[in-house]
Amino acid sequence: MNVAVFRSMAPVFPKMASPVRSACCVVLAAVVVVYAQRHSQDSHPQYERVGADVTMKCGSMDWDAAVTWTVNGTDIDESHLNGSYLILKNVNLSQSGQYSCYEGSSWHLKYQTYLRVGTPPKEPVLMCRSNNYPKGFYCSWHLPTPTYIPNTFNISVIHGTKDMVCEKDAMPKNRCHIRYLQLFSTVKYKVTLTVTNALGKNFTTLTFDEFAIVKPDPPESVVAKPVPNNPRRLEVSWQNPSSWPDPESFPLKFFLRYRPLILDTWQHVELSDGTSHTITDAYAGKEYIIQVAAKDNDIGTWSDWSVAVHATPWTEEPKHLTTEAQITETTSASTSSFMAPPTTKICDKGAVVGSGAVAVCWTAGLVMAAYSVLFI
Amino acid sequence: MLNVTGELSGDSWGIFTFLCAALCNLPALPALNCSEELGAGQSIQQTYDLTRYLEHQLRTLAGTYLNYLGPPFNEPDFNPPRLARAERVPSATVDLDLWRGLTDNARLAANYRAYSRLLCYLRVLDGQVGTAELRHRLAHFCASLQGLVLSIGGVMSSLGYPLPAGPAGPPAPPGAHAAPNDFLKKMDDFWLLKELQTWLWRSAKDFNRLKKKVPPAVVTLRLEARGF
Repeated sequence: MNVAVFRSMAPVFPKMASPVRSACCVVLAAVVVVYAQRHSQDSHPQYERVGADVTMKCGSMDWDAAVTWTVNGTDIDESHLNGSYLILKNVNLSQSGQYSCYEGSSWHLKYQTYLRVGTPPKEPVLMCRSNNYPKGFYCSWHLPTPTYIPNTFNISVIHGTKDMVCEKDAMPKNRCHIRYLQLFSTVKYKVTLTVTNALGKNFTTLTFDEFAIVKPDPPESVVAKPVPNNPRRLEVSWQNPSSWPDPESFPLKFFLRYRPLILDTWQHVELSDGTSHTITDAYAGKEYIIQVAAKDNDIGTWSDWSVAVHATPWTEEPKHLTTEAQITETTSASTSSFMAPPTTKICDKGAVVGSGAVAVCWTAGLVMAAYSVLFI
Repeated sequence: MLNVTGELSGDSWGIFTFLCAALCNLPALPALNCSEELGAGQSIQQTYDLTRYLEHQLRTLAGTYLNYLGPPFNEPDFNPPRLARAERVPSATVDLDLWRGLTDNARLAANYRAYSRLLCYLRVLDGQVGTAELRHRLAHFCASLQGLVLSIGGVMSSLGYPLPAGPAGPPAPPGAHAAPNDFLKKMDDFWLLKELQTWLWRSAKDFNRLKKKVPPAVVTLRLEARGF
C-alpha cells in the first residue's frame, strides 16, 4: 500500500522544485512510519486457545500506570484489570476483537493487538480417489470441526522411495491431483496431510494400492422413456461419466436400480456392457424412480448413484369427449373404469411384437434350415 | 433338385456343416464344439474369464498363505520397501504410454512370459509349504495357472504369433537363489503373491484391449477360408 502511494506520487515529482520535493518526501516518510507503528500489531494478530487465560500488557507501561483498555472501541471495565494488565480468564470465541490500551489522561495509544480465539486443529479427514483411471487420482480433505483461525494444509505423497508432487487445484480448494507415471504398481501410495495453525498441528495418513481407490463418477445424462404401446416397459439410457478417460480399454459395467414411487424396495439389474436397458416388468401406470451406478469392469468400487430420473410407462389415452360423441361417452366410461380389458388386448399384441418374436424367428430359422437341406 | 431317397449331395453337406457351425457359435445354444479350433475372439474371452477366476482364487489363497507366514505379512497395512532380490519376480508395473502402445504380440508375450515364470516360483513354494491344506490350495492354483499359460499360448498360436522361448538353460537347482534367512524367505513369498495379484489385474486390462482388437468376426472369416 505504501509502495503504491509512492508510485502514484512519482509523476508529480519532476514538476516540483527540489526543496519542496524533499519536504514532501519527509512528510510522506513520517506518515508511513506512524501508520506502520499503529498497524504493526494488526499484521501479527494474537492467537489464543478457547478456555485459556490471557494477560495483555500495555506495551512498555509500568504495572502501576493508569490506563484504559478498550475492545473494538468499547471501554473495558476496571474489574478485568490487574494494574495496567488486562486479564481475560477462560476466553471464548466472542472475545475475539481489537484490544487497545490508552494512557490514562493523555489518551495516547500505547498498545494495540487483534486477539483471535480459536482451537488447535483436530485430526483432518482425508480422502483419495481415482475417478479418471488410469490417468491418476485426487485427494481432498477437510477439518471435522472449525478452528476459527487460519490453517495451512500440507500434503505429501510417497510412492515407494519416490516423492510425488500433488498439484493443488484452484477449485475446489482443499483438493490436489496426481498423475500416474506407472501403471499396475505393486508398491502402495502413502499420502500424509498435515494441518497447522498458530495453536498447534495435526496430521493423518492414508496408505493404499493403485487399484483400491478406483471409483468412477456416476453415469451421466440418465434418460428414462416410456415405450409406445408397451404399458410395462421403460427404456433407460445413459452415458459414461465424462471424467472416465478411456472406456475402450477400461470398460465400465453398470448397476441399475428402479422402483415405483409408492414402494420402498428397489429392483436391481447388473449390466456388463452397453449404456441402455429396457425394464420389462414395470407396473402399469405407476411412476418410477430410476438410478444408475458405474464401476470399472475389474477393479475398484461402485460409483455413487446417478441423479434419479422419473418416468411412467405408456398408458392408453382415454378417448376425447365431444358433444357429438355423447352417445359413445356412456359406453367408453364403463370400459375405462376397469383397466383390465383394453390393456390385456394391448399386452397380447405387445407380447407378439416383443418377446414372442425371438421364439418365432428361431423356429422359422430351423424349419428353413431343415427344408434347405432336404430339398436342395 | 429333390432327392426322394434322401441321399445328400456334396453341396448339401457343406451347407449343413456351415449351418451347424453357425448355430454352434450363437450364444443361445450350449457349446456343441462343431469345430475343434475355437476362433481367437472366443479364446481371448475365455482367457479373460480365466484371469478373473484366478484373481478370485488368489484372494483366498493369499489370505491363507499370509496368515501362515504370520505377522507382519498378514497385516493389511504392511508396506515394505522392495528389496533388490525381489526384482527377479516379473513385475506388471509399466509406463502408461508404453503399455498403451504395446503391439498385440508384445502384450500377449509379456503375459505369457510372466505367468510361466510365476508358475515356476509357485511350484517351488508348493514343495516347501508346511500344512496339507495350503499344499492342496497351492496345487489347485498352480493347475489353474498352468491352464492360463496354455490359454494364452493358444491365443498366440491362433493369431499366428510365435510362443516366447522358455527360460534360458536348465532350471536352476533349488538352492541357487535361496534366501539367506527365514525372514527374507518370507519376504520373497510376500512379493511373489503381490506380483501375481497385480499381474492378474493387469491381464484383465490387457485382454480387454485385445478383445476390442480381435472381435468374434474372426470366427466366420476362418470358416469361409476353409473353402465351402
